[in-house]
Amino acid sequence: MKTAATGARGALGFVRELGETASSLWWQFFDWLAQVPMRQLVMTWLLALLLTATPAIHPEQAVAFIFISLGLKVLAGGKRKAEIEARRASEQAGTEELERRLVEARMAALQAQVEPHFLFNTLALIGQLIETDPPQAAQIHQHLIDYLRSTLPQMRSRGNGTLARQIALSRSYLAIMQARMKTRLAVSIDVPPELESATFPAMMLQILIENAIKHGLEPKIEGGRIDIRASGTGTMLQVDVQDDGVGFSRYAGDGIGLANVRERLKLMYGTRAELQIETPAEGGCRASIRVPFAPDIFADQHK
Amino acid sequence: MKNPTALIADDEEPMRDMLRARLAECWPELAIAAEAANGVEAIALAGRHQPDVVFLDIRMPGLSGIEAARMLFNRCHIVFVTAYDQYAIEAFEQGALDYLLKPVGGERLKTTCARLKERIGQRPADIAVQLSRLLDGRGGGGNSGNHGGRREYLHWIQAQVGSSLRMISTREILFFQADEKYTRVQTAQGEVLIRKTLKELADELDPDEFWRIHRSTLVRVDAIAEVTRDLRGRQMVRVKHCAEQLEVSRGNTHLFQQM
Repeated sequence: MKTAATGARGALGFVRELGETASSLWWQFFDWLAQVPMRQLVMTWLLALLLTATPAIHPEQAVAFIFISLGLKVLAGGKRKAEIEARRASEQAGTEELERRLVEARMAALQAQVEPHFLFNTLALIGQLIETDPPQAAQIHQHLIDYLRSTLPQMRSRGNGTLARQIALSRSYLAIMQARMKTRLAVSIDVPPELESATFPAMMLQILIENAIKHGLEPKIEGGRIDIRASGTGTMLQVDVQDDGVGFSRYAGDGIGLANVRERLKLMYGTRAELQIETPAEGGCRASIRVPFAPDIFADQHK
Repeated sequence: MKNPTALIADDEEPMRDMLRARLAECWPELAIAAEAANGVEAIALAGRHQPDVVFLDIRMPGLSGIEAARMLFNRCHIVFVTAYDQYAIEAFEQGALDYLLKPVGGERLKTTCARLKERIGQRPADIAVQLSRLLDGRGGGGNSGNHGGRREYLHWIQAQVGSSLRMISTREILFFQADEKYTRVQTAQGEVLIRKTLKELADELDPDEFWRIHRSTLVRVDAIAEVTRDLRGRQMVRVKHCAEQLEVSRGNTHLFQQM
């Protein structure tokens, strides 16, 4: 009895497997039919006709195949093809979404860490100025507070995203650096008033300026200057940070800062924004960020 | 006995002022012979004034404080003054050197002065070993980046655009393709031509970052979207943000062998 039962179950399993294989083969054929270009289908028909043109097999089978596949292609192929493409697109979108979230998480971890060197040096400076020049100590102290308020991730407020706000933050930072570097740092900022309300991503300008000082001017004995310029060219907003420092090593790593700017631009604007680094013929380094120009219509409200 | 002399080297003037004021309180007999604003100046002034003690900031342009110390070490006593340098602190704690953290506090400076007074008549401690360990550990603190035996790879490609040189980060590059005398550099934004040959690039780039998939193609591994086979059975690489398909030559198909 037992052997008969297992035998029956085995046969049943075999039949089920056969059915599944046939069904999957059928759907594979159907999918192929749905997606194959018409020209390739015609070629397949010709091939089938040639193969079956021998006396052993009846060419009617090939003709039947042609009719059936043509009928299927015309009646159901288009819909099936669209379905397959839609599924593939949504799978790809899923992966892209996942990648996007991964990058966002990484960015959040990286975003604008305040360098301990900077913090300790500035506190040391304030300590010194309290004794020698209390009014200046109070000023630098206020600049440091403004700077930390915009850079510490926990403190960052909304409404930071205009060019005017980003420039104000950079002024605080540059004022501190000028108090430390004295005549070794000269700064000019040129932003046309009509661009001030334009949307500009947070912390990017700051990263470019920190780089210019750290890699361009601090290593240079006599120091130098930083020029910050904003310009609007129709639909694009461009912000340049140029220094006349020691220039750029091709072997220096991209650094967390620049990679951060580049990845965030990609997330926010895709290929419509870019970060460009150039070394002008006269020396130094110029970093430019180009983003789509969008005046912030709520600008007056977050003042 | 003549009064002891000192040299202060720091690129930031307020920091020099502070240290000078504090030293005047803690050790009035110590004469400040000179002040230097960078490492190079520190060496020159130390040669001229022969001070007993040099207070050296670590981050300075020209020569870093550590590089300067290496050139001065058996001529005078060295005290490092630094705002923040975890690595240096660890190293000095084991060594004969003294170090001060900015902002320099009065009490801490008193200890340093006491220590210096004791040793000022003696030969400076031999700190060559600690210094060379410091230099090895942190690439000299300078910006040259080519210290030690570790191989440095190219991270930026330079392309002439007008009168400027455009710097393109290798992280932005999708692939390089040989184009007669030039090499085409493809990014998501577009392409530029550079004069460097593919062979030169292959030698200078990180082999883990860029793979040579064909005699005339170097592709950035992270940019690869998928590898497929075409009708003739050739492997084709599709790159993110780019419609172009890149052929893998027969000899390089092992790169994409199924795991």
